[in-house]
Amino acid sequence: MLACLCTVLWHIPAVPALNRTGDPGPGPSIQKTYDLTRYLEHQLRSLAGTYLNYLGPPFNEPDFNPPRLGAETLPRATVNLEVWRSLNDKLRLTQNYEAYSHLLCYLRGLNRQAATAELRRSLAHFCTSLQGLLGSIAGVMAALGYPLPQPLPGTEPTWAPGPAHSDFLQKMDDFWLLKELQTWLWRSAKDFNRLKKKMQPPAAAVTLHLEAHGF
Amino acid sequence: MMDIYLCLRRSFRMVGDIRMKTISNFRWLLATFVLLYLMNQVNSQKKGAHDLKCITNNLQLWDCSWKASSGTGHGTIYEVCIENRSHSCYRSEKTNIKIPALSPGNHEIIINSLHDFGSFKSKFILNEKDISLIPDTPEVLSLSADFSTSTLYLKWNDKGSVFPRHSNVIWEIKILRKESMELVKLKTHNTTLNGKDTVHHWSWASDLPLECATHYVGIRCYIDSLHFSGRKEWSDWSPVKNISWTPDSQTEVFPQDKVILVGSDITFCCVSKEKVVSAQIGQTDCPLIHLDGENVAIRIHNISVSASSGTNVVFSTQDSILGTVIFVGYPPDIPQKLNCETRDLKEIICSWNPGRPTALMGPRGTSYTLFESFSGKYVRSKRVEVPTNESYQLFFQMLPSQEIYNFTLNARNLLGQSESTILVNITEKVYLHTPTSFKVKDINATAVILSWRLSGSFAKINLLCQIEISKTNSVQELRNVTIKGVENSGYLTAVGKLNPYTMYTFRIRCSTETFWKWSKWSNEKQHLTTEAIPSKGPDTWREWSSDGKNLIIYWKPLPMNEANGKILSYNVSCSSDEETQSLSEIPDPQHKAEIEVDRNDYIISVVAKNSVGSSPPSKIASMEIPNDDLKTEHAVGKGKGILLRWYHNPNVSCDYVIKWCNSSQSKPCLMDWKKVPSNSTEALIESDQFRPGVRYHFFLYGCRNQGYQLLRYIIGYIEELAPLVAPNFTVEDTSADSILVKWEDIPVEELRGFLRGYLFYFEKGERDTSKMRGLESGRSDVKVKNITDTSQKTLRIADLQGKTSYHLVLRAYTDGGMGPEKSMFVVTKENSVGLIIAILIPVAVAVIVGVVTSILCYRKREWIKETFYPDIPNPENCKALQFQKSVCEGSSALKTLEMNPCTPNNVEVLETRSTVPKIEDTEIISPVAERPEDSSDAEPENHVVVSYCPPIIEEEIPNPVADEAVGTSQVIYIDIQSMYQPQAKPEEEQENDPVGGAGYKPQLHLPISSTVEDIAAGGDVDETAGYRPQANVNTWNLVSPDSPRSTDSNSEVVSFGSPCSINSRQFLIPPKDEDSPKSNGGGWSFTNFFQNKPND
Repeated sequence: MLACLCTVLWHIPAVPALNRTGDPGPGPSIQKTYDLTRYLEHQLRSLAGTYLNYLGPPFNEPDFNPPRLGAETLPRATVNLEVWRSLNDKLRLTQNYEAYSHLLCYLRGLNRQAATAELRRSLAHFCTSLQGLLGSIAGVMAALGYPLPQPLPGTEPTWAPGPAHSDFLQKMDDFWLLKELQTWLWRSAKDFNRLKKKMQPPAAAVTLHLEAHGF
Repeated sequence: MMDIYLCLRRSFRMVGDIRMKTISNFRWLLATFVLLYLMNQVNSQKKGAHDLKCITNNLQLWDCSWKASSGTGHGTIYEVCIENRSHSCYRSEKTNIKIPALSPGNHEIIINSLHDFGSFKSKFILNEKDISLIPDTPEVLSLSADFSTSTLYLKWNDKGSVFPRHSNVIWEIKILRKESMELVKLKTHNTTLNGKDTVHHWSWASDLPLECATHYVGIRCYIDSLHFSGRKEWSDWSPVKNISWTPDSQTEVFPQDKVILVGSDITFCCVSKEKVVSAQIGQTDCPLIHLDGENVAIRIHNISVSASSGTNVVFSTQDSILGTVIFVGYPPDIPQKLNCETRDLKEIICSWNPGRPTALMGPRGTSYTLFESFSGKYVRSKRVEVPTNESYQLFFQMLPSQEIYNFTLNARNLLGQSESTILVNITEKVYLHTPTSFKVKDINATAVILSWRLSGSFAKINLLCQIEISKTNSVQELRNVTIKGVENSGYLTAVGKLNPYTMYTFRIRCSTETFWKWSKWSNEKQHLTTEAIPSKGPDTWREWSSDGKNLIIYWKPLPMNEANGKILSYNVSCSSDEETQSLSEIPDPQHKAEIEVDRNDYIISVVAKNSVGSSPPSKIASMEIPNDDLKTEHAVGKGKGILLRWYHNPNVSCDYVIKWCNSSQSKPCLMDWKKVPSNSTEALIESDQFRPGVRYHFFLYGCRNQGYQLLRYIIGYIEELAPLVAPNFTVEDTSADSILVKWEDIPVEELRGFLRGYLFYFEKGERDTSKMRGLESGRSDVKVKNITDTSQKTLRIADLQGKTSYHLVLRAYTDGGMGPEKSMFVVTKENSVGLIIAILIPVAVAVIVGVVTSILCYRKREWIKETFYPDIPNPENCKALQFQKSVCEGSSALKTLEMNPCTPNNVEVLETRSTVPKIEDTEIISPVAERPEDSSDAEPENHVVVSYCPPIIEEEIPNPVADEAVGTSQVIYIDIQSMYQPQAKPEEEQENDPVGGAGYKPQLHLPISSTVEDIAAGGDVDETAGYRPQANVNTWNLVSPDSPRSTDSNSEVVSFGSPCSINSRQFLIPPKDEDSPKSNGGGWSFTNFFQNKPND
């Protein structure tokens, strides 16, 4: 299963069939993207365990739920249910794409900061997977004929741990990054499930229950 | 007080003078005068200055003050005069005045108080010792703080310019904390006044981060002037200055991201507007120390080393958390195993082991600087993470024309630094790269050229290279070569002394001439050297064919080291004086040629050829020199070969040849030979084809005068084994006392060794019963003959018994052991004389016995008649019976005439006083099985051993109910030894008998052990109430005549065959002791005979 998903992961960005000319339509690529989000959820669970242990207590404590202090720039996954329902497919996919673009950028910064080689390897592996998901979402958007959101110049998130940014706040940011990432993966799974069913009429009703659970 | 004292002293001095001059006449006058004077003095003092007090704060000016008298009002002018100077006076309207410091010693000070109404003079003596040195209150110039390091910086001026002399100054600084101004530190600081105003700096690192509480600082000083003899006092405290932090955010935790040493004590504090609920470091909760407001602190003692991301310190408020990260580690260890070497003389690689991990990573990790002191150059490591146990490396570019380098490696992190040094001559520390592009090229059949590349600038040094040469099945050879080094180029060297047409494997490694380390081995290269002409001709032998017409020439293939290439063919030629025959181009696998020649002497020549050329010919003469004196010898090998020895033969001029066949059969003979020099006297013949137990034939030829002579013929075994079969033997002749055995030879193939003899065993025995077991174990009945004469083929065994089966066994043996055995059974022939004697003797004995018996019988016929056939008397003539009859018919009181002496028996009688013992049949049978109630009642007292005489009891009971038969029978069946008396009186027994309560009861109740009889008796008891025979015949049969009981009861048993009735048997039974036939009254029976037997 994992090997299969890995293969999907590596091939999806390069698959030309995901463009508009594909005969099977966007259905299969949505399914693959959905599978990929589930796989990334699994992968993140392992990575988060390792990384939170690296951050040390209290970050690795199960009931640790700090306020979102310095992580304001991170894209929030939590959204009002009504708002989420009112999103159209384009907006839904665009939000996903933008969120993962930002999260990937932060994650790469995290990788540069990590002190141990083992952790760097794990993070690099996850970054590659996330890059694959991003490509996959781009593929779905292309299949549905939606343009990719263009990053505005200067808004590209950068990883700049200045002197004002203390190590503790940095750790809090790391914690929130992982937490948001997980929430986004949950949300994406819901999004793509909804999209998948929509593409296979009659679409079943989807209920979304998004909450930020602790790790 | 001082002035009063001075006045009084003066007055007393005056009084003393008057007394000396006027004696006692003027005593009263004088006393009055003195009193007046004193009064005057006292009044004048009160009106002037008093309590003169002087201090100084700079040792240059004395600030003297005094108290004015009460009468002096405003407007009083004081004139202060110092007497012992040049009468300098100072005027002042105040009660103090500053005067220049006076020299050491006493000085008279006169203070003249000038009033409107007059003047008063006050005199004082002033000394430096009376002066107090109180420095001016110091002033803090500035107080600043470095919050990142929690350090306070204090600055003040010592105002040293006002002091004329150098003096030591002690500064005391107090640090107060919190709004309540708790003193946390009191520190002293020593300086020296050097005549100039000097600004002093002092810093103090706070254990509590300065952000968390306001800190106050005050200072005072103490001037310790050596030249000042007066009193020295501390100055007043300066006004305190404070440092506080203005929070730029809501809450903060301090210190932030600090790096500290393992084991340190540290205080963390939290500046908060909200109430802090808890604090924890790592997973440990810490008690809170409350500061001003809601600020709190925690104090950590002996902090332990951090994990890779640091230790988190977290303060929790109701709805938020804040924290900091502390990095606890070690300063860098001294770099260990620092080593610098070069691989190419261009770049120096210094490597080391970092030692103890610092536990600090990333930007807080250790940075290394490699500094070369001669050149002053250095390289610095980037802070890259390296696995803990791996060595670190730094590369230093070599400098031209510098060979000696003095490296200092400095390790530094935020907690400290350490260093390690090494001095190297880099030309002696060359660890060359692995040679690359390694190639081998031929020069000739025995030499090759090796070439390789080595990167590096070695133009100034020589290289030492080691070549490993290995060939299959041979030890590796190492050859060292020294080569002049060149600049980044290839190297060549020739390798000679190789064997032609041999597969070699080469590899090379290099070092410098000043050896430090070998480089790694280059790749291996296999190379086959070219062919050369065979170095020798093949080893040759010749044989004449069996018909003598053909000469067969054999040769052996050349070994690789002599063939020097692949042998393609052989040329064979036979030449005599007359003719030459040649066979050319015999292809290689063939190593034999046959040439038809006449019986001339030929010289045979064999040449081997490979692609390069022909070998030198190997020659052998065809002539065989006859030998008349040829002996066969035996030889046994050792290990894998057979050592053959011979005496030196001076006639042998060329060599010896030992020829043999590698098979035991004569055909086909896998012929082999070995040549040994003529000076040898032994040869070890070895062959992989030799097998133990196989006979080989060796022929030793000596070469002389161009011909070969067979010198010896040797039969040998590589190892002797036991014979495989037993000799086949037959019996040639058998007589009554001897057997002649003949056997055959064992075939050579099955003998498997040199026959050393036979073992012949024989013993008496039938084919089925006798088994020749343990023949060798020296059984006495087995006879062994060891026949060591192997030529003997027959054996006569003598001294045997006639008509007896003999078991014969024969086996052969060699030095390898005993062969199997073969056995045979032979019966010797009959001895007829003995048989005749054996028949005649018994016949004769029988006849004689018969005759003698007849004679004896005839002579003793009367006795025989008496004994065996006596006259039977007529019972009617028996007197005794008549007498007995009368007795029986007479009075019952009449006693028996004679009694046998009573044989007393021990009878245990159970008596009861009141109760009748209830004795059942089973109890009688088994006295052991007593009922508990019975035994408890009767046993202890009623067991009485009494003498018992059954016949008397029987006779004393006249009552026919108490029949004698009952009594006797009871006695008969009681086991006397049981010590149990079952003879409870018959009446009692009858009364207590539950079964037979009514009707007739047999007097003879004898349910003895026989079950059959039990059933019979029981049946009688149950079923019949009628008559029962009083004498149960079965009971008599119960006791067998030879039973032990029968001895006691023989009187009754005898009655079986008695002609009298039961009642009269008392008289018919013979006495027990009597066994004479006469006393039996002539009655004799088999029963009686057997009964008496035990008594015999």
